[in-house]
Amino acid sequence: MRWLLPLMALFCSPALAAEWAVPNQAGAIAETLAQAADGDTLRLASGTYSENVVLDRPVVLDGGGVATISGNGTGSVITVTGDEVTITGLTIIGSGSDHQTIDSGIKLTKTAAAPQIVDNILLGNLYGIDAHGAKNSLISGNQIEGRQDHHMNARGNGIYVWNAPGTIVENNTVRWGRDGIFVNSSKNNIFRNNTFRDLRFAVHYMYADNSEVSGNVSIGNHLGYAMMFSTRVRITDNVSLNDRDHGLMMNYANKSVITGNYVKNASGKCTFLYNSHKNDFSGNWFEGCGIGIHFTAGSDDNRMVGNAFVGNRTQVKYVSTKWVEWSEQGRGNYWSDFAAFDVDGNGIADAPYRPNDSMDHVLWTQPAAKLLLGSPAVQLVRWSQSAFPALLPGGVMDSNALMAPVRPAASKKDLQDG
Amino acid sequence: MSEQDNNLNVTRRGLLGATATGAVLATTGVGATLMSAKEASASSNVSLAPGELDDYYGFWSSGQTGELRIMGFPSMRELMRVPVFNRCSATGYGQTNESLKVLTDGLMPETKEFLAKRHEKTYMNGDLHHPHMSFTDGTYDGRYLFMNDKANTRVARVRCDVMKTDKIIEIPNAGDIHGLRPQKFPRTGYVFANGEHEIPLINDGSILDEPDKYVNIFTAIDGDSMEISWQVMVSGNLDNTDCDYQGKYAFSTSYNSEMGMTLPEMTESEMDHVVVFNLKEIEAGIEAGDYQELNGVKVIDGRKGQNKKYTRYVPIPNSPHGVNTAPDQKHVMISGKLSPTVSVIDVTKLDAVFDGADARSCIVAEPELGLGPLHTAFDGKGHAFTTLFLDSQVVKWDIDKALRAYAGEDVDPIMHKTDVQYQPGHNHTSMGETKEADGQWLVSLNKFSKDRFINVGPLKPENEQLLDITDPKMPVVHDGPTFAEPHDVIIVRRDIVNPVNVWDRNDPMWEDARKQAEADGVDLEDTPEEPIRDGNKVRVYMTSQAPTFSMEKFTVKEGDEVTLIITNLDDVDDVTHGVTVSNYGVAMEIGPMATASVTFTADRPGVHWYYCQWFCHALHMEMRGRMLVEPREA
Repeated sequence: MRWLLPLMALFCSPALAAEWAVPNQAGAIAETLAQAADGDTLRLASGTYSENVVLDRPVVLDGGGVATISGNGTGSVITVTGDEVTITGLTIIGSGSDHQTIDSGIKLTKTAAAPQIVDNILLGNLYGIDAHGAKNSLISGNQIEGRQDHHMNARGNGIYVWNAPGTIVENNTVRWGRDGIFVNSSKNNIFRNNTFRDLRFAVHYMYADNSEVSGNVSIGNHLGYAMMFSTRVRITDNVSLNDRDHGLMMNYANKSVITGNYVKNASGKCTFLYNSHKNDFSGNWFEGCGIGIHFTAGSDDNRMVGNAFVGNRTQVKYVSTKWVEWSEQGRGNYWSDFAAFDVDGNGIADAPYRPNDSMDHVLWTQPAAKLLLGSPAVQLVRWSQSAFPALLPGGVMDSNALMAPVRPAASKKDLQDG
Repeated sequence: MSEQDNNLNVTRRGLLGATATGAVLATTGVGATLMSAKEASASSNVSLAPGELDDYYGFWSSGQTGELRIMGFPSMRELMRVPVFNRCSATGYGQTNESLKVLTDGLMPETKEFLAKRHEKTYMNGDLHHPHMSFTDGTYDGRYLFMNDKANTRVARVRCDVMKTDKIIEIPNAGDIHGLRPQKFPRTGYVFANGEHEIPLINDGSILDEPDKYVNIFTAIDGDSMEISWQVMVSGNLDNTDCDYQGKYAFSTSYNSEMGMTLPEMTESEMDHVVVFNLKEIEAGIEAGDYQELNGVKVIDGRKGQNKKYTRYVPIPNSPHGVNTAPDQKHVMISGKLSPTVSVIDVTKLDAVFDGADARSCIVAEPELGLGPLHTAFDGKGHAFTTLFLDSQVVKWDIDKALRAYAGEDVDPIMHKTDVQYQPGHNHTSMGETKEADGQWLVSLNKFSKDRFINVGPLKPENEQLLDITDPKMPVVHDGPTFAEPHDVIIVRRDIVNPVNVWDRNDPMWEDARKQAEADGVDLEDTPEEPIRDGNKVRVYMTSQAPTFSMEKFTVKEGDEVTLIITNLDDVDDVTHGVTVSNYGVAMEIGPMATASVTFTADRPGVHWYYCQWFCHALHMEMRGRMLVEPREA
């Protein structure tokens, strides 16, 4: 125990927290913890500490940007069970590989309140950070790189949030592993300004009411944002670039605000509204996807205004026998394929837009036909369609299509964009 | 006596397909393309012309309606409703003595007491999810259909020769039967039934809000005797079940391995599990006396940590739901529900798992298919079809490619996805749950119809869609609305099902009436002209032969307990009679050459007509008589 000397020089008053220098020795973190008082700070030296750490009361564990803790392939590397723990400046490696125990870099258990997990680097753990029942956690500025095993579904999530209300997850970057953030049965949380790459889902989200998902960036994942079975979520200013199946998917997500999102180049669907109701769905940008928007399963009473649908192979896939109007108070959405006139120059097309007429298909398969958009032949085809609508009932009409798109601020995060 | 008119070896569809194929061979160039297009449309024609017969029987559950339905398939014309757990106004099921015997013989004494306090003999509702036919050597044998009642923890059997319910048993110790499957090999054999909801083993109120003392029970019923062979206590709850084609193992999914009571608690674990039951080891354990007897049933402890060979728990991500064994007789598909994956078990690797190998070592593929995989069906050609509840799609995938992808090869098992409207639960292929899967049709049981039909008010029908899986694009070719709420169906080749047209006079269904008639010295087919009086019990034996009942009138006294015992002597297809006693709330069906009986108290004096309510003859309206009830002496 010779080495166990608190750095008391600076902190003489017992009312003030002590700082402990933890030497790089086997079991040193646990032994220091045993000596430390609530509120003390443990500073780790450079190098790798091989230890599974349990933090059961208010302390600060600070790696100073130089220390590494390794779990040596067993269990969770750091488990927080007590209140008001701070973990910062650490590199965390070597969790176990058991999904049943959710082996993680950092695990925040049900008994932990308000832990602060800030500016750490988590590499190659099965799960990065598992907020498992801990209320009011802050998970900020961490860099998480998961595993790259062959079976993506056998990997773990970067950040796993289960039943952890009041948690804020912000400014983290997540790469590899399975899902970027997996949220299940957890209300009143904030997920903002995180970046996700090379994952299954960027954000996999269910049973999580009254939360915010904003300003995140998803690049090259199987799916960007899967928002399911949740009410009153603010989904704003997120970016999805080159995601595979869906950019922004809504399934029974209701009474939510979905604005300012920017989705580009999803090979499947830019966005999918399925059995989702009473949402404010406005000011979003959907570009270059197989389908701009797939709207179905009785999704009802959604406000669809000010969105830009730009060069999607199918702009709208609408499956319903109901007729809906996608404009409000004289203002609709922008449709890149709409060859409309605006004689009065008010920014609103002079004719209503019906997506998915047969010209869409021609324009996608024969891009050169765009040169003919204003031609009498194309106008005739369009007029015929408006005069003789398709035989099946139901469809979308935008009576006040915008002549120019409104580019959301989030598009600035698209560095590929010219 | 079984009819042979269903024994067709060539299906109508096969015939049409073959004709069109022949035509294609005879043409060339553009003509060939046109003919192929024609072939596809011919093969997907589900609108049978009047007089045409279906190729398959569809046996449909009805959920909370509590009945079994028989559909002609692929036309999806509803042919019959078989009351099982419900009360049926048309047939008198739930009121006749014969049906009450079926409904009450298998109830526990405690349940009978409970019902008696409410002046009831049987439950009035049921929740019938899963109808499954008995098997012999891996395929349907046309003997019986078995089905669960989730509402009141029962299992019923329907006789396929007459399409009537003949046995219902209450399952003691278990909470709310959900998943149910018959043993496939060598025959049924066992019927496996999952108790879904967690309850104390002795549920008498001595344990209430102590979930750590709750258990779940897996039950094996002898399908021949409808007696319970054994039960296994397990860890976690039990959802769906299936078994192998070797007669060695059964499988049950668990979405609540956590034994949680709230939604957050139930979703806490990243991995739930499928329980594998080792039938031989369980039988050996029972033989060796390693059980406790509870409510007359032998209960074995197969919970985690018992270190016995009765069960193994294979971890599966995240709230798995459907279990479906492939017709290749080797692979079992566990659908992930909250995980976008289906986990594939290789049954040949299970012996090793029971010998101590890692539980996950039996998983040989885990394709990521889409959001919300619930159930998987098969075409017998190496393809699987999984419903994706959240994507609202059916995904067709190649089983072999999924295995190769899991082994490291860069192949994509997904072949095609078809949108269905809306939110599919179970799906089924023709003969797809047997080793004779024929790859013709798939039905997707969608939970919502939303806007697919003209509006009938806030309560809307379900939507069951038919997909033509001979076409690689598997188009939806038919929308089928149904009333509440089919969960599960099976689609059976029609040559397998051979019901009779007329009842056999020796049928055991009315054995009690037969014995009573013997005791009364009555010939059921040649009944006396006056009722038999036995104290205040009056037995009225009649025959019915269109357009008359054998009694034009009978007289009873107010307060008499009256039993009508009627035999339909019309030995003719489709001449069912009935009897309704007006203003007495009494009505029943009497099939051709059947005997049916109903007992009631003559509480209301006066003239009460009884009449045939099942159209039978030109003089059907005249087929009636009078019950004269003399007032009690004041």
